[in-house]
Amino acid sequence: MLTQIYVMFFMQYFIPSTAVLLCNTHLSRGLVAYQKNRDVEPFRLTAGRIHAASSHSTVSSSRAASMHWTGERVLSIVLLMDYSIAAALTLHGHWGIGQVLTDYVYGDVKVKLAKAGVLLLSTTTFFGLCYFNYHDVGLCKAVAMLWQI
Amino acid sequence: MLLTTVARQGLCLSRSQFGVLYRHVVPMGTTANEEMNKFWAKNTRLNRPVSPHISIYKWSIPMMMSISHRGTGVALSSGISAFALAALVLPESYPYYLDLIHSMTFGPQFLAFSKFALAFPVAYHTFNGIRHLAWDLGKGFKIPEVYRSGYIVVALTVLTSIGLAAM
Repeated sequence: MLTQIYVMFFMQYFIPSTAVLLCNTHLSRGLVAYQKNRDVEPFRLTAGRIHAASSHSTVSSSRAASMHWTGERVLSIVLLMDYSIAAALTLHGHWGIGQVLTDYVYGDVKVKLAKAGVLLLSTTTFFGLCYFNYHDVGLCKAVAMLWQI
Repeated sequence: MLLTTVARQGLCLSRSQFGVLYRHVVPMGTTANEEMNKFWAKNTRLNRPVSPHISIYKWSIPMMMSISHRGTGVALSSGISAFALAALVLPESYPYYLDLIHSMTFGPQFLAFSKFALAFPVAYHTFNGIRHLAWDLGKGFKIPEVYRSGYIVVALTVLTSIGLAAM
């Protein structure tokens, strides 16, 4: 995604070692990169001051800075989207399967068992999706990556 | 539930005090759910056969679309659950498995077809879902309208799936 490409380019420019780190952990989303970028803030400001004489680099660094700010907001929204999608999908699926159960399962004991089973499945599904969002690339990115094959 | 039963009987008693007119009224001591369970318990116990219904009734487009909506819903839900469980259980990360698939030599037509096969149930369930929402608002219940909206849903599904598969 554009944000990740931008972040990786930006980081490699200032701290080469993080380039290696990012390449190894690119799957752990922008979360790690986001944290690293916060550490880099004071460094970047110093770099800006050193090259104050050359107007070109201050213009480009402020453009880079504002792009970075936008990148942060975009990332936050995408993260929000990932978790919203996870919640919406699991809840809709839970209620949907519940309706199917109500239509086809009869008898108090069987209904109770089936409902408990579906609740367990839905809870596990939601937990699994959140785990994927946090530790892996996230739902939106996953679909994008799958479609690029 | 017990309270309702007692209350109902109490009501009936007070009504019968007021004369012959109400004597034919019998209180319902069971809920609808209980009646349903009693029906199924009795009929399965007596091993009674079920009358043919879906095996003899003439299939119609609305019928087929309705069960397809349920079918795609269950399929999609199962897929999501399978994905979530895989995320919890499998050792490697998502990009690793994607690279595995990528390394396998699938023809472009097979890939395009697979994308179509994935997109189709999502598109169908979404568009038919919107059709359901329109019904929930009370719109489009006339039979010609039901058929027309059905055809539109199928057309949109096919077009969207082709479009998504081409991406």
